[in-house]
Amino acid sequence: MSEHKTTTEQLILKLSHAQVFVYLLLVVITILFLFVINAYVFRMNFDDWQALPDPRLLWVNSGSLIAASLGMLWASKASKNGNRDNYKLGIFVGCLFALVFLIGQLIVWQQLISLDYFVASNPANTFFYLITGIHGLHLLGGIVALAVVAYKSQRLSDVVLLSSQTSLLATYWHYMLVVWVVFFGLFLTT
Amino acid sequence: MEQSATYEGQPLHHPKGWWGHYVFSQDHKVIALQYTTVAITIGLVGMILSLMMRMQLGFPGLFDSIDANSYYQDVTMHGMIMVIYLLTALFLGGFGNYLIPLMLGSRDMAFPFVNMLSFWVYLLSVLILISSFFVPNGPTGAGWTLYPPQSILEGTPGGDGLGIVLMLVSLVVFIIAFTMGGLNYITTVLQSRAKGMSLMRMPLVIWCIFLATFLGLLAFPALFVGGIMLVFDRLLETSFFMPEIFKGGEVLDYGGGSPVLFQHLFWFFGHPEVYIVALPAFGIISELISCHARKNIFGYRMMVWALVAIAAISFIVWAHHMYVAGMNPYLGFFFATTTLIIAVPTAIKVYNWVLTLWHANIKMTVPMLYCLAFLITFLIGGLTGLFLGNVSADVPLSDTYFVVGHFHMVMAVSPVLALYGGLYHWFPSVTGRMLDDRLGKIHFWITFIGTYLIYFPMHYIGFLGVPRRYYSNEQFDFIPASVGDLNQFITICALLVGASQFILLYNFIVSATRGEKAPKNPWGACTLEWQTLEAPPGHGNWGDRLPVVYRWPYEYGLPGATADFIPQNVPDEQIT
Repeated sequence: MSEHKTTTEQLILKLSHAQVFVYLLLVVITILFLFVINAYVFRMNFDDWQALPDPRLLWVNSGSLIAASLGMLWASKASKNGNRDNYKLGIFVGCLFALVFLIGQLIVWQQLISLDYFVASNPANTFFYLITGIHGLHLLGGIVALAVVAYKSQRLSDVVLLSSQTSLLATYWHYMLVVWVVFFGLFLTT
Repeated sequence: MEQSATYEGQPLHHPKGWWGHYVFSQDHKVIALQYTTVAITIGLVGMILSLMMRMQLGFPGLFDSIDANSYYQDVTMHGMIMVIYLLTALFLGGFGNYLIPLMLGSRDMAFPFVNMLSFWVYLLSVLILISSFFVPNGPTGAGWTLYPPQSILEGTPGGDGLGIVLMLVSLVVFIIAFTMGGLNYITTVLQSRAKGMSLMRMPLVIWCIFLATFLGLLAFPALFVGGIMLVFDRLLETSFFMPEIFKGGEVLDYGGGSPVLFQHLFWFFGHPEVYIVALPAFGIISELISCHARKNIFGYRMMVWALVAIAAISFIVWAHHMYVAGMNPYLGFFFATTTLIIAVPTAIKVYNWVLTLWHANIKMTVPMLYCLAFLITFLIGGLTGLFLGNVSADVPLSDTYFVVGHFHMVMAVSPVLALYGGLYHWFPSVTGRMLDDRLGKIHFWITFIGTYLIYFPMHYIGFLGVPRRYYSNEQFDFIPASVGDLNQFITICALLVGASQFILLYNFIVSATRGEKAPKNPWGACTLEWQTLEAPPGHGNWGDRLPVVYRWPYEYGLPGATADFIPQNVPDEQIT
């Protein structure tokens, strides 16, 4: 909205409304995950804690998330340059590999269940399902937002108009990757 | 009055038809009214539940329908409804939505659609909560703190049914609604202020709502995580919080969890929640005192920094709710110290309000009466907090009626007094009509005196050691019979105060339609919400041009000026 750009405060922050909103959202999500990590570390010191095996598929899933993040980076750059073909490809890669990651996580759940690592068998199991579940749901939310932006892009003549939204989506994808790396590191080291 | 020519004549959005205007509206004012209506409605349910509790305490056994289980359910639902679904929603969703864009000179919230979504998700959370009254075994009766293990076990009302699950799901949904609204408030305050509205020219109520929203965004995730983990424990029989439990000599499937972990998560949210409710009340009082005493607020900057200090310290006091949970004495000492330190910025605020009143031209309007009542009540509630903040005094007083008296004075009666003051003050801005003054004063005096007659005696009962939350006190020899008499007296007062709230409702309904027409700025306030072109403000708030701000919001009694107040959007050259 034009009236917003006239305020001096806007110039001081040099951020769009959407940027402020999304960055604050990431702060809130970070706090949420910090509480989960806090509870994890607190609970793992109890006697009944038995660490889970780390299925190899988790490495493949991590690779998928990296690919998704790179795809979104590509889409973000393409939208800034107004390159529609590259933009579509970037969005496709970002969305596809995010979905591959989620399906991969579900397969990991299935593998663990088949090995009798049920959700209630041990607190380590419970935390694994809880953490991967919450992280997956957040990524799913991102995919919904991505679908909305992708739908909008079909109606617009120039993808440059979506550059700020795509850039924020890419930020969210990178953020989800960083969060996953932290959690994966936690699983590997504990 | 000069206004900036920055608006290009494009409305923020186009409400279509009746549904678009009044139901699925994206206008912050309509959303504020929606939040207020739902919050007051659910608040009335909470009040009726409290009266049912009082009936049992004052006249035990009089009503067959109130048994031990339903009593605990009433206690639990009353507490949760009042703290979360009434006060938090009304202060931030109601007052926040209405005041932020108007007081900052913006057209609407930064993201009107998300704002609308926030209300509907809030309504969903309320409906989920209400639905728990209609499931087998009813709602949870675990106490508003929902402490495991008892909250999810058979024997606690709703513990083995759907009651506790619906409560937790409702809380999670509420947090999602709050997050959508909260991110919007923060973004609007940071990004959508009118030209000239620097942070240090913002009205204190906006500072308070801004900081309370920050507190909510940082504190609610703790409850969110705790709630989801408790749902896991209840539905999937995991053991985040559940220790080894024996029932009838047999061990249950749970084991190894820590109930204290839940307490930490709950109170990391729970204590800031006190300030999520208190800070907007502080803000409303600051606006009302300055305006109705016709004097600029004393120590504006000091007030802002005191608020920031309160907000920051409120995150390191949470475990003072857990002194009896088996805490390391050194940790108790730390939390007692931080608890006492938070009294310093709070006292600064109280002194500044009193100094604002000093030698002021105090108008004894209904909002001012509520301000004065708030000051006294908050002071008394705060002073009893000093007892409970100290470990050695807290241990014997913990879980007695002294605690009930304390927290009701400080975070129930005080915020509600501020809330009522705010409703009387801003009612003309919303409806264009004045509330009936005589009915307002009758309602005020019954509420003010009545609440003291209810909660003051509870402190004495608490000193006698009468435990809170008990369905019946009759079987305890150490409780004298006079406690029963006092309980009867409290119950009668509670019924009177409860009934008197319908005077306010009647006043609202009648005045909104047939009340005296309000002038554009009936209280002579400096803040922008009274300076709109239309009164009540129309869609987009400001017509074609946004206001420009030239001064702070408390320009009362400016030396040399003819008028006793100068609105924020009046430049120096227009002052006569």
